[in-house]
Amino acid sequence: MKRLIAWGLVGLFVIFATAPFTVHAGLVFIAGIAMTEIIFALSWNMLFSYAGLASFGHAAFFGVGAYTAAVFLKYDYGLHFMLVIALGTFLGGVASFIVAIIVLRRASGIQLAILTLALSQLVVTLIGYSTYLGRDEGIPSIERPVMEFGLFQIDMSNQIQGYYFIFFMSLLALVLMWLLLHGYVGRRMKAVAIDPERAAFVGVDVWRVRVLAFTIGGAFAAFAGCLVVPWAQIVTPDLVMWLHSAQPMLATLLGGAGYFWGPIVGVLVLSAVNYATRTFAGLSEVLVGGILLIVVLMAPQGIMGFLRQLVERGPADQPDPEGERA
Amino acid sequence: MILEAKAIEKSYGALKVLHGVDFAVEEGETFAIIGPNGAGKTTLFKVLTGESPVNSGEVRFRGQDVTHMPDFRRARLGFGRTFQVARIFPEVDVFTNVAIAVEARKSGAGASAGRWWDWRASPEVADEVGDILERFGFGRARWAGEASFLSHGDRKRLEFCIALATRPAILMLDEPTAGMSPSDRKQMTELLAKLKNESDISIVMTEHDMDIIFELAERLLVLNYGEVLATGDPASVRADKVVREVYLGQHHA
Repeated sequence: MKRLIAWGLVGLFVIFATAPFTVHAGLVFIAGIAMTEIIFALSWNMLFSYAGLASFGHAAFFGVGAYTAAVFLKYDYGLHFMLVIALGTFLGGVASFIVAIIVLRRASGIQLAILTLALSQLVVTLIGYSTYLGRDEGIPSIERPVMEFGLFQIDMSNQIQGYYFIFFMSLLALVLMWLLLHGYVGRRMKAVAIDPERAAFVGVDVWRVRVLAFTIGGAFAAFAGCLVVPWAQIVTPDLVMWLHSAQPMLATLLGGAGYFWGPIVGVLVLSAVNYATRTFAGLSEVLVGGILLIVVLMAPQGIMGFLRQLVERGPADQPDPEGERA
Repeated sequence: MILEAKAIEKSYGALKVLHGVDFAVEEGETFAIIGPNGAGKTTLFKVLTGESPVNSGEVRFRGQDVTHMPDFRRARLGFGRTFQVARIFPEVDVFTNVAIAVEARKSGAGASAGRWWDWRASPEVADEVGDILERFGFGRARWAGEASFLSHGDRKRLEFCIALATRPAILMLDEPTAGMSPSDRKQMTELLAKLKNESDISIVMTEHDMDIIFELAERLLVLNYGEVLATGDPASVRADKVVREVYLGQHHA
């Protein structure tokens, strides 16, 4: 299984790294969106699989990042876009920290789900009142930034440069999340997700770990939100809506909760379905629903879990001693 | 005195489970709480560990009032605990189970648990985890195995390793041999005896197996319907007429 994952990752890396030279512009655009959605989905799974928190309003933090980036690019406040990303990520972290200390005091499980959902819909309503944020219409025709780095510059209005900027920033976020979740912080989160009471009895402050996970997850969601703006060139309240909050959940369930790489597989499958059905209005929802139903019924552990079963049922027929699960 | 319970009262709704329980555990002592089913042993245990709040009364640890201290703070103070049904972290490997506890102890004491970007446990943590695992019969070859594949006896032993990794001053064992096969039971008894000999750890345990109690415990508390029926060393408790009638029966007399 480890080898399979390794080859899968190498394959994905090659596909994403060479996309601007191998596929047409429409697909390159979709690949760029998919990379930000991957970071978004991973940030949700950080809460779900690693800290045991099911947030139904994660898109609100994505929205904090997206609207921060949109405002700075649209109204041309002259801040370097790298700093805009840093600011958006920071604000996303602050917002999720505040939400965390309010809702995590008492709520977990279904209460947490409803509270986070309600808070994110509140954000949508507030945006609807703000002319500065474009009300229900959102902020359209955002210009792609040009970033000066002293020795060189990145012009995002050039599709190839823009694509590689998103590629490397997403890769950076991916690596940071992987390291964090495989180190002692991730072990501690995992302990809290598996059995909070047992974790408390070895001295883990469960509440603090959950607040930390929620804050970091929110910050990464905002980071993804910042990245998507110069690429899509428009933000609308749809990015904050519950339907967008559901995307990382679908991706995680489809790809395999409990696996670090699960959400990536899920996002790719969802993107592929959306692309394949782009000319048939409404068909993609039906297909996604159908696929999800089949996966949940046949492979409750998602596609990754299904692959693991396949590999382990193979000729060696041994349980994997390495313990693949994240 | 390491642990002191004063006039503990506990009710679940209208049902009064503990009626003013008093006792004290000395440093280094092995103290057993026994009594028939429904006597309130597990409730008393939960009150001592902080899992369950008291209605009135006081729990003291080395003189400090810990009655309303949350469980994770008690753990950092020196309470180690195992459960009737072993509670481990089944979805991660054997090594990680113990590493979580070692790292939590280090963080709780204000020390570094490692670097956040390092996916391997720090060398100090890894050494300590390795020592504990090997001491309790988990050879290096088993460290990477997922804990959910362990047998019942192994789970109990792993849970024991997790509890010891927090370096507790007092170890709270809720029926350490519950549901074990006779050979696992013997192994666990030996392990506890070894732990007692090698360290000055205090132990509070509940247990149904009287042979194990009489082998390990230095003092007993007999609980019946939430009241203390008797306390004392095993010989005197065994000789107590009331205790014999209520609990031990004739064959242990």
